[in-house]
Amino acid sequence: MGISHINRRQAMAALAASATFPLLPGAAQAQSFAGRKLVSSGFGGSTMDIIQAAVFTPFDKESGASTTQVPMQSAAALARMKAEAGNPQIDMFQFSGGQEAFAKSEGLSQPMAGVSRMAQIPAALKDPDGHWVTWAVIAEGIVYNKDKIKTPPTSYKDFLKPEYKGHIAFPAITNGYGVDFLVMLAKAFGGSEDNIEPGFEAMKKIKGETIFKAASDLPTLFGQGDIWIMPYDTGNTFKLQQAGLPVAFATPQEGSPAVNITACVAKGAKNADVAGAAIDMMLKPEAQIEIARRMRWTASNPETKLPADLAAEVPAVDKLAQLDRDKINAKRASWIERWNREIAR
Amino acid sequence: MTTAASGSGVARFAPVLLFAPCAFAYAVFFIWPQASLLAMSATEKAGFTLAQYERFFVDSYYWEMLGRTLWLGFAVTAITLLLGVPTAYLLARSQSRWASFLLLLTTFPLLVSAVVRSFGWMVLFFRDGLLSRTLLALGIVNHPVQTMYTMTGVIIALAQVLLPLMILTLHGVFKSIDRDLEYAAMSLGARPSVALGLVTFRLASGGIVAGSLLVFSLAISAFATPSLVGGARANVMATAIYEQAVELLDWPFAAALATILLVVVLAVSLAYGALLEGRADKEASR
Repeated sequence: MGISHINRRQAMAALAASATFPLLPGAAQAQSFAGRKLVSSGFGGSTMDIIQAAVFTPFDKESGASTTQVPMQSAAALARMKAEAGNPQIDMFQFSGGQEAFAKSEGLSQPMAGVSRMAQIPAALKDPDGHWVTWAVIAEGIVYNKDKIKTPPTSYKDFLKPEYKGHIAFPAITNGYGVDFLVMLAKAFGGSEDNIEPGFEAMKKIKGETIFKAASDLPTLFGQGDIWIMPYDTGNTFKLQQAGLPVAFATPQEGSPAVNITACVAKGAKNADVAGAAIDMMLKPEAQIEIARRMRWTASNPETKLPADLAAEVPAVDKLAQLDRDKINAKRASWIERWNREIAR
Repeated sequence: MTTAASGSGVARFAPVLLFAPCAFAYAVFFIWPQASLLAMSATEKAGFTLAQYERFFVDSYYWEMLGRTLWLGFAVTAITLLLGVPTAYLLARSQSRWASFLLLLTTFPLLVSAVVRSFGWMVLFFRDGLLSRTLLALGIVNHPVQTMYTMTGVIIALAQVLLPLMILTLHGVFKSIDRDLEYAAMSLGARPSVALGLVTFRLASGGIVAGSLLVFSLAISAFATPSLVGGARANVMATAIYEQAVELLDWPFAAALATILLVVVLAVSLAYGALLEGRADKEASR
């Protein structure tokens, strides 16, 4: 009888422990974050809605938390993170332009806890100290109007073809894709992240073409803008196709630069534990398949096995070119200064 | 006796008390942030520095940008004056019962968000858009023109949204000018056009100054429209401040740009006000 008594007490203790440490595996069903609120930065528009549906809605259902995304572009999100340093109102941040490295070096982020799937992610796609992780990848390349351009473009050099003159558009350098376009032009003409000169040389030849700032201009550019070709990405090509525009995506021979979509947790975030669990959900193969299906973003978790039809349309992560983001970030400010004077003037 | 003393005390301090809430709000929400901006622009680790201002003033790129910003302000002010004065005058003098409805109608651009409005301009301004097609069809141009991502586009778009402010300001002023003053001038032999110029417009000069300053300062500090309609090439002070603060995280330089913009607006406003007021005074004393 005494023994059974002890056993019951032990069982009670175990129950109490599982309630106190809800991060223990298997406790997820118990709605470990019931009543908690998570605030994340989001990319806005349909992208934000799809991420909400593919990641946060199932996460909220499973954990009992309620997650809100606040729309802001990556640069604005980093500025917000810096402005709120020490007392963050936003718990987790999503970036698409390499801002996570700056956030870490400025001490704005903290090592994530509770992200068990982190181990499945290749080393190149995560921070060695666990400050950030890439949860999706977007492939950059050439977007073209297939009614106007019959043979798919094959190289970044095609932007200098005289037959496209007057129908070319490219993003301003403050847009992340604008920097990558400059780097890829440099690479196409014998340069690199270290030798950007050929990039500026080539871009000067098309400086009179249409320069735009935001992806929101894309539909009008291909519609009223009479644009045939521009450097952009798979995700936006898919969006334009869904809107009924006759566009297609081409992978250039210089490679498709990878844009890493990352997540990190603000230092001192009140809901860092909830954020960690939400980021773990982002790395879940089911969520990554849903993101690939609805946006054509590449999965970052190699455990994610896309259905064959989808796999044909979304480039695998190991087929993409990883640019040297550290070098690019270090030179970005001086390139922007130069670009403002030599290209946009 | 005590009540009488405290009563007169309240009366004496009434203006101060009435002024205090506004002064407090200004101090907290304007003067203090502005002072910290100024401090941010002029300090570095070692202490006081003018390096940020030097960076601006030795570089022709920034002078050009400041010039472009001022040009934007002047052009938008001129267009809104040109379109606003006759409209406001007619609406103020009109006896029609439609006048107040028409006045309400002129404010419609203000009710649409700058972002939505800019997408509207996009449809009109692109090379294959309505403006280009109309000009082509009328034979005014012989090849498609693109107004999108140009300063011309920004000027047109800003003039459209700021015109209501000009009309509303002037409408109130014209409304308050007694029609009998014009009749008096005409009865003394002035032709109607002379009466209009010598009496009405001169009396309205305060309103013209106010409307112009309102439009000018809003035009040169506008961000959304230059950014969305102007794109990468229409760099003005406001878009440069955003770029430095948000894209490059160079807050000291952004603060310096903001301070320079503020000083320039103040200088231009004072000069413009003094010019018009001074002329009015001189003519009045003649």
